[in-house]
Amino acid sequence: MSTATAQQLVALSKRSVQSILRQPSVVVPSMVFPLFFVALGTSSFGRAISIPGFPVVDSFLDFALAGSVVQGVLFGSITSATALATDIETGFFDRLLLTPSPRVGILVGRLAGAMVYGFAQTVFFVVVLLPFGLSIKSGVLGLIAMMVGGLLTALAVGAVMSAMALRTGSSEAVQGSFPLLFVLLFFSSAFFPRQTMDGIYRRIADLNPVSYLVEGFRSLTIGDLSTVAVAQTIAIPAAIAVGGLGISMRSLRRRVAAS
Amino acid sequence: MSASTGLAVRSLRNIRRLPSAFLPALLMPVFQVVSFSGTYAGITAIPGFPTDRSVNWYLPMAVTMGASFAGLGTGFSMIRDLQTGFYDRIRMAPASRRDILLGPYLAAWTRAVIAVVLVTVVGFALGARPEGNPAAVLSLFVAGIGVATIGTGWGLGLAYRFKDMRAAAIMQLTLFLGLFLTDAQTPIDIMTGWLQTVATWNPLTRVLHVARLGFVEGGSIGDLVLGLIVMIVLGSLAWLFAFTGLRRLDD
Repeated sequence: MSTATAQQLVALSKRSVQSILRQPSVVVPSMVFPLFFVALGTSSFGRAISIPGFPVVDSFLDFALAGSVVQGVLFGSITSATALATDIETGFFDRLLLTPSPRVGILVGRLAGAMVYGFAQTVFFVVVLLPFGLSIKSGVLGLIAMMVGGLLTALAVGAVMSAMALRTGSSEAVQGSFPLLFVLLFFSSAFFPRQTMDGIYRRIADLNPVSYLVEGFRSLTIGDLSTVAVAQTIAIPAAIAVGGLGISMRSLRRRVAAS
Repeated sequence: MSASTGLAVRSLRNIRRLPSAFLPALLMPVFQVVSFSGTYAGITAIPGFPTDRSVNWYLPMAVTMGASFAGLGTGFSMIRDLQTGFYDRIRMAPASRRDILLGPYLAAWTRAVIAVVLVTVVGFALGARPEGNPAAVLSLFVAGIGVATIGTGWGLGLAYRFKDMRAAAIMQLTLFLGLFLTDAQTPIDIMTGWLQTVATWNPLTRVLHVARLGFVEGGSIGDLVLGLIVMIVLGSLAWLFAFTGLRRLDD
């Protein structure tokens, strides 16, 4: 990669991050709502930690952190994909195509923004919840793994959503996928352990990849540092990211060819 | 009275003309009863939980949520009517302000009944059953109409004051917080910490208690009376809030 190409990618990434920071109305919900649900859940389900099947935890707050991180990152990742669709709607995408910058930079810039935001969200949730008694059993190394996991989750979801943005060119269509993420989140073990569910709910949660994504983060919060826990936290979003990047790159090529 | 009926019918026709404005409010409580009942199925194992069916606990919550959204829906419609100028023409008509206000209420009650019926049917399909008296189902309708009345007044009052989509955001956020800061997820006795205090003093908790009568153990006539008083007081205040907002439009 030449220096000029790298500079262009950095410039597009900076633009992406700045556009997120300049829209507090977009940033605040994906920061505040997960925290609200943690506060609500900790107070509502504090006594649930003693029911059969519930993992051994010091408090419900420790259990809930993973769900809030994944919830925040999932919702936050829609932001960058929506911004990409807006670029298409407003014609900025077409203007970029007229410049000699690499086509892939359009996608990389937006995904870099999503990754930075996902990383920042993970740090934010941990820092805010620490004074309320949150403990991360896997220590600093586990926390670092969680931050990387947050970054990769943002990349994974951002890539999948970007593919939708590139295919439809509609920010409304991207925003319309929000309920789907909501359903995926609720029918997983994000808010309550799979072991306490039964019947069809248990089977759906068992099949839902979000369950395993959340449980990776959770095992680092409530358990000791282990290779399995780190691998689960990093490998699952990384695998989704690889697939998502493949789809989004193909969508980008189609969009560029059509333009 | 014909003015209110006409406005109500127009509002209900808009459901068919603009289903995208009504369906999310209808599907959200259905999603809630389905997902909460399954996700939190294990909470019935907490000692002292007043039912052994999680859906019995979450059905009344979803019903009140759906009915409140039905009320807010009229607020959203009102914003649209204010922005397009339709409402200015209505205000020039020789109809009393009370009738003009009653129209959206009639529409909201109808929408609320649709939501309550749908969510209840889904809840029963998931295994919800009254514990004892089957007439307990009526309590869902009473609470649904009550919370729809409160939501309608609140939504209309905000719409008249803001006249744009800022009102919609405030409507949703306040009602969402109001309903979740109750014993929506677990009984007050089982809660720990700050929410226990907030839920105890939140008047909407009493409305939920009415909705749960017959579906969980421990409900009493006292709960019904207190809940009805709360619904009448909050409903009257919300009506007043809407009425004064409508008056402001005339100034």
